[in-house]
Amino acid sequence: MGKVMLEVKELTTKYVTRFNEDVYAVDHVSLKIEEGKSLGIAGESGCGKSTLALSLMGYYFSPLHYTSGDIIIDGVNISGMKPDEVRKSILGNEIAYIPQAAMNALNPTQKIIRFVEDVIHAHDPKKSKKEIYDMAVERFKVLGLPPEVLQRHAVELSGGMKQRTVIAISTILSPKVLIADEPSSALDVTSQKMVIKMMRELMEKGFIKSMIFITHELPLLYNVTDDIMVMYAGQIVEKGSAKEMVFDPVHPYSKGLMGSIIVPEAGTREVKLEAIPGTPPNLKNPPDGCRFAARCKYAKLECRTYDVPEKEFRDGRMYRCIHDVEYLKEVYGRDE
Amino acid sequence: MLHQIKQVFRSPKFIVGFIIFMIILLMAIFYPLISSVGPMQSISKAPFTAPGTYVNIEDAVRDTGGQLTLELPIVENRIEDALTADEKQKMITWLEDNGGVAAGELSADDIETLINTWNSTYDPTLVVQGMLTSAREEYKRIDIRVKSVLSVTGVTIAEQGEDGLEVTGTIDYKRFINVNDVANTFTFPLGADNFGRDVLTELTSAILTSLRVGLIAGLIATAIGLALGLLAGYVGGLVDNLITFITNLFTVIPSFVLLILISNSISSSARGVEVVAMVIGFTAWPWTCRSVRSQVISLRNRDHVNLSKLSGHSMPKIILRDILPYVASYVVMALILQISSGILAEAQLSMLGLGPSTTEVATLGLMMNWSQKFSAWQVGAWWAFLPVILSIAFISFSLNLMNTGLDQVFNPQLRDS
Amino acid sequence: MKGYVKYYGQKVAWYVLTLIIAVALNFFLPRMMPGDPVRAIVNEATTGMTNASAIQQIEQQYYERFGLDKSLPEQFLTYVGNLFKGDLGTSFTQYPRPVTDVIGESVIWTLALQIPAILVGWFIGNILGAVAAYLRKGFDKAVMPLFMFLSNMPAFGMAIIMVWVFAVTLKIAPLSGGYGYDLLPSFTPEFIVSLISHYALPFFSIILITIGGQAIGMRSMSIYELNADYVKYSRFLGIKDRKIIGYVFRNAMLPQVTGLALSLGTMIGGNIVAETIFSYPGIGTTLLAGITGGDYPLISGSTLIITLMVLVANLVIEILYGVIDPRVKAAQQDS
Repeated sequence: MGKVMLEVKELTTKYVTRFNEDVYAVDHVSLKIEEGKSLGIAGESGCGKSTLALSLMGYYFSPLHYTSGDIIIDGVNISGMKPDEVRKSILGNEIAYIPQAAMNALNPTQKIIRFVEDVIHAHDPKKSKKEIYDMAVERFKVLGLPPEVLQRHAVELSGGMKQRTVIAISTILSPKVLIADEPSSALDVTSQKMVIKMMRELMEKGFIKSMIFITHELPLLYNVTDDIMVMYAGQIVEKGSAKEMVFDPVHPYSKGLMGSIIVPEAGTREVKLEAIPGTPPNLKNPPDGCRFAARCKYAKLECRTYDVPEKEFRDGRMYRCIHDVEYLKEVYGRDE
Repeated sequence: MLHQIKQVFRSPKFIVGFIIFMIILLMAIFYPLISSVGPMQSISKAPFTAPGTYVNIEDAVRDTGGQLTLELPIVENRIEDALTADEKQKMITWLEDNGGVAAGELSADDIETLINTWNSTYDPTLVVQGMLTSAREEYKRIDIRVKSVLSVTGVTIAEQGEDGLEVTGTIDYKRFINVNDVANTFTFPLGADNFGRDVLTELTSAILTSLRVGLIAGLIATAIGLALGLLAGYVGGLVDNLITFITNLFTVIPSFVLLILISNSISSSARGVEVVAMVIGFTAWPWTCRSVRSQVISLRNRDHVNLSKLSGHSMPKIILRDILPYVASYVVMALILQISSGILAEAQLSMLGLGPSTTEVATLGLMMNWSQKFSAWQVGAWWAFLPVILSIAFISFSLNLMNTGLDQVFNPQLRDS
Repeated sequence: MKGYVKYYGQKVAWYVLTLIIAVALNFFLPRMMPGDPVRAIVNEATTGMTNASAIQQIEQQYYERFGLDKSLPEQFLTYVGNLFKGDLGTSFTQYPRPVTDVIGESVIWTLALQIPAILVGWFIGNILGAVAAYLRKGFDKAVMPLFMFLSNMPAFGMAIIMVWVFAVTLKIAPLSGGYGYDLLPSFTPEFIVSLISHYALPFFSIILITIGGQAIGMRSMSIYELNADYVKYSRFLGIKDRKIIGYVFRNAMLPQVTGLALSLGTMIGGNIVAETIFSYPGIGTTLLAGITGGDYPLISGSTLIITLMVLVANLVIEILYGVIDPRVKAAQQDS
């Protein structure tokens, strides 16, 4: 068993709306990643997975607020740290982020090298421009970017180049944890594969020590990550190894997610779920009992009354449903 | 549509703008109706009569019915009124220099002691070494005024009779009369201008005329801009290139210059209010054209328009049914801005003497022009120009607020700002 | 590099074309008006004059200037030819001074007043707008309505209020003119002090007006930029807020440069009218004198020089913008 890079215990964060209502978008989430491993998080739009990505970094600004729980990076608990300290020593340095919209993530009027300098100087003000330049050239090369890119502005780069530039900048300080929030959702399939391959390569070369990959397409994770977690309405509903999760999902929601094609978040709000009818619950006012019950075709009366705890049924395998694994297997078999 | 109007009235900016505008508009419509004088009627024979209520002096003196005695500090008030701060200071200086009063003993605030010391000490016959004659004369004048103000003998009324003056009565210095009992009084709420016209009546009627100028100019500019913008945006190609070229041209060549050139070429006999409004309208359309064009271009390839095209609808029909309703909100916003800039353009032209050449009606610009010609601000007649400037600013402010409110409702991505 | 040359070549060519059209408008517009404006002008210019030879001289001036016996295109050619020689005719009100002289003298005053005032006002306005967008809440709520009101105040209105408050009531500033009436332009300390004290009121009145409009524009641009994705990304890379504000300010300011170019014509027009309030010896006062005196060559020359000023300022801004905004640079390289 490798060294634990990131451990999250019972993390809860909330949004405070304009009308002062609390929305718990991340509800008692726990997870653990070892060195050299990657974790995928899947779920529909609005399930809280992007909020989880932001929450994991330990730096919160309105309307997102920290409520409770611990984030431990390589043995150091950062949830007790002051925000300024987190920003200076953790963000970009220990834990790095690749945003959803990589296309707009770069300041359009700044040269790439100037931005790289700003990033590095934020953590190590003493580094000379020459050192930074050499460092950047080397890291850009790994991602197949020529040194000229450094002298360009973001507007002068193509979409794919911007994507790789963002990955290069996010990982330039060799963070212990890299969080990628749907970095490929705006790209076509080939580019998506490229991005995923590059990130694996970065990990193999030791530039990043562990990785969290967030997506709404569960099948995509099979090729990328070691473990997979499925999130629903702010809670983890199932987790396990990638292979098991893809070929042998236990929770009815994971099962549905595997068999469904979900329309990306951009554009229409409606989610075309073949296997899962309905929409996720409103987190301002979460329902009693199992949060998925309203959309679950195996739901019974008690699903809507009792809170369902996480159940571990095998080593590293957990799900959140009142039904037994055997029962679920049986009904799945019958339905098919 | 109804929903959108409701939305508009939920925007605080729009509501504030709307209320200010309605107050101004209602004032402009109703005040001239209730005013006892015409807007262009010269009442005062002196230029720039200060605001206030004017009482006919003969009526006040002759009216004996409602007179009564009031116990009030009449003399003190008269002194306050008769002596300026400057004059009080001069009195103190004289007393300290020549009257043997210690420096700092007297102050302009303690008027009673000052007057008493003055009366007992001042000697008009004293010739001070080195004092100019003019200064000595001024002290004598101050002294006379102090003495007359202090007099409590009242006023004797005499009338021209057959044998010369006949005393018909005296008025005690404490006698008062109710203003309502005086037959002839007149109130200038905002004074009178250089022609002796009541500024408030003139201003309200000028606001109405200026709004009309803005509306005519705005409607013309919006109509031309809308027509050309629709044509350029929808037809595209050569027509678009040509119209875009012209619009770009006129956004760089200042419309202000065109206005001067055209207005200057129209003989002053033909330059009425409507003509000036039209000239403003004909030079202001490029802005509207530009924004309508870009709106139409973004609409041109929408599904519903394509569907209409495929169904074989004619161009005018497509423009009317499938494009116009979508640009309507922009057109309304453009019209509001055009009205506001039209009012401003008229004012600027008039300031240069190229505004409406008329003495029949007033516009805000003409009122400013007259104020300038008769040095209103040099003589400190604030009532002749300040209300006009504030009217222009508030009309423009309210229209712009309404426009911002509309913008926030119709362009939700800006709602946060 | 080739892209640059092409880009700026096109820009300059377009402005030259615009200038030609502006000159043509300056010539043709007055002549397209109904009636016989030239005769009307001659009549207006000579009313009240008693000196027969002067009247005749002016009439002759007009006829020579407008070449009334020739066809319109011919007249236009003569006009353009004279323009190239720097000949705008002779002023009637300041006879026998050539119009070029009169305008040349006043245009310096206008430039010296407007360029610094607009630039300073633009800069302060942008800073205040950005601060309002960043702080929101109190400062924003208190200051923005004021700026909005200021921006809707006509420039001449602000000028009059300034004169009335500071020159007439408080008597701490001179009433009118560009320098003391008892002085002659020279490099004496006395003259320079007088110059500055006469400069203050017009300068600050333009600044106040400019600040209002610019602050409002900058505020909404900054709010838009503050919500941009790169701000969030930079934060999550640990970059300090101060640095990020720098990015936002720069990016929000760039569109403000174009905004300045677009509103320059209106701005300069308004300021020129405001000049007349201070009797500042610039183009505005010259133009007013021309209009009051029916001095046609002077009016025509003034409008031409105003147009030229706006055109050149626009061109300069556009070139500058191309240099400072990489987004434009990228577009240049594409073409």
